[in-house]
Amino acid sequence: MRILNSKAIVLVLFAISAFSVSAQISWKPQEAPVELPLQLFHSPQSLNLPTAETLQKGDFEFEISHRFLPPVKNGSKDLYGLDGPVNMRFALGYAVTDNFVVTLGRSNADDNVELKGKYKLLQLKESFLPMLVGVQAGIARNTQTFGQVASTGRTYQYFAQLIFNTLIEKKFGFGIVPSYLYNSNIYKTDVQSSFTLGLNAQYYISTLVSVLAEFNPTVNGYLNRYNSAAFGVELETGGHFFKLMLTNNAALNSTQYLAGSDKSFSSSDWRLGFNITRLLKF
Amino acid sequence: MPKTINDGDVIKTLILVFLFSCFPLFAQGVEFDVNHSAKNSVIFDSEAPFGTVEGTTDKIDGYLYWNGASVTDNSSFYFQVDLDALDTGIGLRNRHMRENYLQTDKFRYASLKGKIVKATQLSSGVFKVDVQAEMFIHGVTQNISLSGTLSKTGEKTYNIKSDYSVKLSSYNIEIPNFMMMKLNEVVQLHLNFNLQQVIK
Repeated sequence: MRILNSKAIVLVLFAISAFSVSAQISWKPQEAPVELPLQLFHSPQSLNLPTAETLQKGDFEFEISHRFLPPVKNGSKDLYGLDGPVNMRFALGYAVTDNFVVTLGRSNADDNVELKGKYKLLQLKESFLPMLVGVQAGIARNTQTFGQVASTGRTYQYFAQLIFNTLIEKKFGFGIVPSYLYNSNIYKTDVQSSFTLGLNAQYYISTLVSVLAEFNPTVNGYLNRYNSAAFGVELETGGHFFKLMLTNNAALNSTQYLAGSDKSFSSSDWRLGFNITRLLKF
Repeated sequence: MPKTINDGDVIKTLILVFLFSCFPLFAQGVEFDVNHSAKNSVIFDSEAPFGTVEGTTDKIDGYLYWNGASVTDNSSFYFQVDLDALDTGIGLRNRHMRENYLQTDKFRYASLKGKIVKATQLSSGVFKVDVQAEMFIHGVTQNISLSGTLSKTGEKTYNIKSDYSVKLSSYNIEIPNFMMMKLNEVVQLHLNFNLQQVIK
């Protein structure tokens, strides 16, 4: 009887001390993990088409872009297009919030000035097919037309785009950008409009280089002769994106490239072009 | 009920159990956890020819424990920092840091785990502490020695300050060539955070 009881006491004491030793550190990780925004494509823009990416609130993004008008196949007499003439664009974007960017841009083609806004609507953080859905819309005024326009009102153009993006395994980016353009050709007697189904794809080879391509066929409405396509290379450094491309479409501003191309992609009427964007923080 | 155990024995056992659990004899040390309502900061800064980059966060968590009269008795500590919370002031740069350099999708936390091996009193409530620890960043663990200042800031609170140089390549963190002039190979780590005693 006594042996049984002393054994019981020893067991109880052992249990207490064992319990106390294992309960020395009561700390458990407390901090809730930080919620990061979903980020897919690295740049807010493909070649001409937008991606659903926006900037951080307060950021500015400066863009300068060229499309060399003579096709590359004209050869050395036009320095493969570099001799020009050239369609150029410069633009300044500003992030009003983390999800909303406003951009003012100007192209020398018809002295088109455009004001557009891009809003990131949805973030879907799936592990395999994460998705971003955005919307972009804008208004443009062609301030120096070279031909006759029916009325001053016809110098204004409008556009709207839905942007669906995904990025697979952090390497393969895909975008679908259904687009609508109102007053596609300001010189036509009647107002034209166009629906296009923009498609873009990008493969991120390294932290510096990626390859990308775009196809923007007109599915309904007015088309200026040929569907647009482009392909090229993107270099990403700390703060800059350099895009070098070949494309049949020499237009840069949204209400102009969405109307289609004057030259054919399949006939290899490709032009050299580049976009340079720089992130600015003041 | 078996006849071998009687009420007297049960009572004796219960008293002994009660007495032993009351005495903080051999098991209880003191534990101080990071105080999340205090101002904590983890800063790294890199000075390079083309500019200075400073990344900051207040997301540090962990504990300091010792059992005995001095902080070096049975000392142990563990602190971790959420690298996804690091902010360099530019969103795109934060993204490059997370995705390209630190790969936070694989190695979300950086941590320091070790013990205080020496404590020298500098003034009342202020100690210079030397620690031996394992620093874990980007999947690599390095055994390091570092020093800091442990200051008693209140009845049950302490503050820790420490500065340490981290060589990025020691943790397999590669800087691409085009960033060479913008980032220093060696970043200066500045810790300044606060602990609160855990009452058991």
